[in-house]
Amino acid sequence: MPDEIPKTIAGLPTSKARFIGKPMQRIEDPLLVSGRVEFIDNAALPGMLHCAILRSPFPHARIVRIDTSRAEALAGVRAVVTGEDARRWTAPLATIPDGWGVHCLAVGKVRFVGEPVAAVAATSRYLAEDAIELIDVEFEPLTPVVDAFEAMTASAPLILEEKGTNVVYQRKFSWGDVDQSFRDADRVFSEKFRWNRLGANPMETFGVIAQWDTVEGALTCRGSYQTQGYMALGVSAVLQIPANRIRMISHPHGGSFGGKGGTRGTCIAAMLSRKSGGRPVKWIEDRMEYLIGGAGQAWDRHYEASLATKRDGTLTGLRVKLVDDLGGTPEGAGAISSAKPLTSFTGCYTIPTAEYDLTLVLTNKLPTGPYRGMGPPPHNWVLEQMIDIAARELGIDPAEIRRKNFIPPDRFPYEIPTGNEYDSGNYEAALDRVLEMGDYRKLRDEQAKARADGRLVGLGIVSTIEPGVFDWNAYAIVGVPMMGVPEGATVAIDLFGKVVAKVGFSLEGQGQYTIAAQLLADYFGVEMSDVRVVAQDSLAAPPHFGPGGSRLGVALSGALLGAADLLTKKLVRVAAHLMQADPSAVALMDGKLGIQGVAGAEMPVAQVAAVMLTRSDLLPPGVEPNPEATYVWTAPGRTVADENGRAKSYLTAANACHLVRVEIDPGTALVKIDGYWIADDCGVRLNPANVEGMIQGGVAQGVGAALLEEYVYDDEGQPLTSTFMDYLLPTIHDVPMTEKAAIVTPSPYTPLGAKGVGEGAMHTTPAAILCAINDALAPLGVRATESPASPQRLWKLLQQAKPNP
Amino acid sequence: MKPAAFEYAAPSSIAEALALLRTQDGDAKILAGGQSLMPLLAMRLARPSLLVDLGRIAGLDSIREESGVIAIGAMTTKSAIEHSDLVRTRQPLFHAATRLIAHPQIRNRGTVGGSMAQADPAAEYPAAALALDAKMRVVGDAGERIIDAADFFVSTLTTALEPGEILIEVRLPMLAPGTGWSILEVSRRHGDFAMAGAAAMVALDAGRVRSARIVLFGVGPVPLRARAAEDAVAGKPPAAATWASAAAHARDAVEEPLSDSHASAAYRRHLAGVLVERALAEAVTRAGGTA
Amino acid sequence: MTSAAEEKAVAASRRIRVTVNGAPYEAVVDARLTLADFLRADLGLGGTHVGCEHGVCGACTILLEGRSVRACLMLAVQADGRSLTTIEGLSRDGELHPIQQAFVEEHGLQCGFCTPGFILSVHELLELHPDPSDEEILDFLGGNLCRCTGYQAILRSVKLAARRLREPNAPAGIPAEQA
Repeated sequence: MPDEIPKTIAGLPTSKARFIGKPMQRIEDPLLVSGRVEFIDNAALPGMLHCAILRSPFPHARIVRIDTSRAEALAGVRAVVTGEDARRWTAPLATIPDGWGVHCLAVGKVRFVGEPVAAVAATSRYLAEDAIELIDVEFEPLTPVVDAFEAMTASAPLILEEKGTNVVYQRKFSWGDVDQSFRDADRVFSEKFRWNRLGANPMETFGVIAQWDTVEGALTCRGSYQTQGYMALGVSAVLQIPANRIRMISHPHGGSFGGKGGTRGTCIAAMLSRKSGGRPVKWIEDRMEYLIGGAGQAWDRHYEASLATKRDGTLTGLRVKLVDDLGGTPEGAGAISSAKPLTSFTGCYTIPTAEYDLTLVLTNKLPTGPYRGMGPPPHNWVLEQMIDIAARELGIDPAEIRRKNFIPPDRFPYEIPTGNEYDSGNYEAALDRVLEMGDYRKLRDEQAKARADGRLVGLGIVSTIEPGVFDWNAYAIVGVPMMGVPEGATVAIDLFGKVVAKVGFSLEGQGQYTIAAQLLADYFGVEMSDVRVVAQDSLAAPPHFGPGGSRLGVALSGALLGAADLLTKKLVRVAAHLMQADPSAVALMDGKLGIQGVAGAEMPVAQVAAVMLTRSDLLPPGVEPNPEATYVWTAPGRTVADENGRAKSYLTAANACHLVRVEIDPGTALVKIDGYWIADDCGVRLNPANVEGMIQGGVAQGVGAALLEEYVYDDEGQPLTSTFMDYLLPTIHDVPMTEKAAIVTPSPYTPLGAKGVGEGAMHTTPAAILCAINDALAPLGVRATESPASPQRLWKLLQQAKPNP
Repeated sequence: MKPAAFEYAAPSSIAEALALLRTQDGDAKILAGGQSLMPLLAMRLARPSLLVDLGRIAGLDSIREESGVIAIGAMTTKSAIEHSDLVRTRQPLFHAATRLIAHPQIRNRGTVGGSMAQADPAAEYPAAALALDAKMRVVGDAGERIIDAADFFVSTLTTALEPGEILIEVRLPMLAPGTGWSILEVSRRHGDFAMAGAAAMVALDAGRVRSARIVLFGVGPVPLRARAAEDAVAGKPPAAATWASAAAHARDAVEEPLSDSHASAAYRRHLAGVLVERALAEAVTRAGGTA
Repeated sequence: MTSAAEEKAVAASRRIRVTVNGAPYEAVVDARLTLADFLRADLGLGGTHVGCEHGVCGACTILLEGRSVRACLMLAVQADGRSLTTIEGLSRDGELHPIQQAFVEEHGLQCGFCTPGFILSVHELLELHPDPSDEEILDFLGGNLCRCTGYQAILRSVKLAARRLREPNAPAGIPAEQA
């Protein structure tokens, strides 16, 4: 076991790190800008068929009869599957919490518009879409339930009848004596909030090519899989074939922002492949399918929050009540998003007591899935509003009330009431930096002048935790039992001294292959172009997860450094043997294995590797002729969650402080963001350009969440948001160019001191923008409490505004 | 999202195109730039048996000055109009309307004829056509006819074109010297369809508004001429109070506002008023007067 | 060789001749086949990506005789006799075009799915406006969606590309303050 994973860049076996920590150009990019990367829809196999899926037009209905004969008769159609095949060949989909799953093709009834009912494999996607129009389905519509509160009542239509209720989970958590805090408070502030559905919408939708092996009862899936190994387990359970007969091959994919994996689509394509006698079947989710039936809807939430304070602004207690509408089934991991807020429940603040009254309920809408941030973005949006409400009522500047309640730098590692531990931080430094960048005093002076002119100018100043390096125990309260998210990597040196890193994930956009090249080039004293990173499939790779939960920069560097260390130990033994020295006197530095204190007694890594591969006679006993090592990293020091969900879960706690200026047009109610400053502390930055990209990308999605993005269902459960004309993604006009500063408080727990930042600003931007909007509206005595703050919603508030006295 | 099957023809003359439309008994669709039609085909909301592509007919894409009028062939792309010095200098309102449409990649294919024939309630071109008293030159089996813009836009996505007729030219008057103009819209994002829009032209006389033309779009099934608002400003000084009065009349004129998840009827009506005020003020600055 | 059937005035399929990246291609295609699908599946040019199939996201942007257009909003049959450029046509003998190179140097991409569409839109932009203002850049790129970058690095990439096309020996990168 390697105990020498360096905690700082200075600890690497190089006298000067040339690459890691610097904004190196990405090795992925030349292929990407040339359009030559094999995204899944660029792949084709001989004999491949194309799948189209027939989806339910009803939110809630019984399936009376399906007649596929006309579809089967269409020239070019090779296979058709329905719920009958799903019932015969598959188990219900896994859900969180466990036990609420349905089949991947509807059996007996449908529970949301867009639910797959049947599917066709044909010689082209065009023909497949013709064929699904020829499938006759007789539905008996049932009364849908679309409102979360109505769904909780005893008289509501039941979505999973056998469960006897639509309430999947109901529990109230208390940490510390929260009742006492509220009794002793000088002031208590309460408000209700509504966060509407929105979601990932990567530019590339999900896609898969599934091929069933009729001889071995095995399955190979190529696809835009974010995490191939765990997907394989899920598919194994559904298709009821052993996991070691499933090979998932992750292709480079066009973003994910949550969870790109498509269990339903994979299993449907697999069934079609089986039914067609083993031909590969490709399913590419189109955009309308994604919007109404894919993994793209998240966080359908009703919040009630209360904040207990002293009159001097000390925050003493936080109560959050959340009703989270998971849609038709909890198959989309929406429940995980309601558990993750525990990791940073009380934010950057020393709030000592907290309460979480959590209800998860089903309605006849799309099952909610994962989205960047996995739950804290709406929670932070609520918490930061409450702090601003308190600040306004108590007459304290919003930056100062935050400063007053920050966890001080000397109190880390800091355990929050909900049990997670923040590794390190310096929140006041970030606040001061951002106030200085934006010239906060001047902004307030300008705001005062603008207000005198009747303009609606607002400032938002928020500080949040951006948890990094997720672990399963963060979701213990909704029934996830595991601990230890693995990331395995193999590092090998070839005959010529070139380095190969083998990993269990493919490209998703975060630049992780570049990090690998930077790290290993510095470690072994080669150029970045001497390092190749290859992805292995789910069976070949050691335990892995891949990107997710802001983990991969840390986890991958841990895996690579662990493997590099194990490999170096072998190289040391061989070099020592060849130089007739004691292994304890030999060390790696700047690409050479040398005897310490003896000038000139050194061997280049390439030479040692070559000996291992070509001269077995020269090796010491017990050393394999294999200059390669594998290491599986997982976060150290994680703890089992207690019955209140308290656990050390996410390993790192990055911090971001955002200052935003907005102006609301009083005539049109349109919001313009005309100033945006960020101080982000994610510890050591392995590649500062990558980090800036993650931050700015999070800002863009945050702007979308705050102002533009919303999935709308009508009262009958029909989705009204089915195209990109309805679901509004931010364009280059909508996203402010932000001014960014880095604060660096290294993590004491991670390799090289980096903290996860992949989800980044998505935790912070929605809160910052709404705080700014409400600051702008404050003189009018109205407050926005629903997302997104669309012009229509803001206009309604402006109509309600009290006239100036 | 693949289209349902159809047959395709690319005639090389108007006569051939008319003959093709005649054979299909109303089940043919004209393909111009395709920027509106292709999404409908992809979603299978449009399922014609035949697409008649006008793109191979020569002579339908010119921009000419002709007897004091700018004649724009129906197949002229919006980009060509945007880059036309003639349009920019002699019909700046139409030029500005062009710049509001979508994005350059859409304008590179989308045509003026396609836009007028599509008659989307939130589109800029129908509103500009109404504001400018444009004339549509239409050809059918019975020969050629001219349809005034005021008669051309009948209802949501419906024009006065009879089945088998083809719009071949849009004829715009040039902007009279000294006329101020403005076209403004409110949309969720730059280039999106307008939630509401207003086109205004103002002529001043001795420091007062001699006459105004005000057209609203995005607030009803077709672009709406706000005549009461126009009457309310005639003879008045170009001042905020005048514009506010126009706005009030404009709001009253909005009878059947659209309503969707982006903008309710009430909000669109409100926006109509705001935009009328701002458009009139902007038009006056272009006329050389103060707002 | 063309047959009478292939040359019928009204047909569900047609023979087309298209020039793509300077090379001539000939094929018989269904009338309903989109240009995007033709390029990707029939010609094997997979760099033109499909993100929405209704013309909003811009991932499928290509050049039609130098003008940026959506390949998903054209039928293959409409491209008969025309000359197209896709992303594959931009690099020469493996050497990146200055616009591509600028995107690499300024980290103007993350997942890369939208990138070919952006690069080709930028190609037309810089032909029309060799020294574009921020406003001109935003106006031209407002119809290309990126979900990863938040656009700031794309803006820097465009400005660097503009400089490089005007002065081929301009130094690498521009200071962050100018973005």
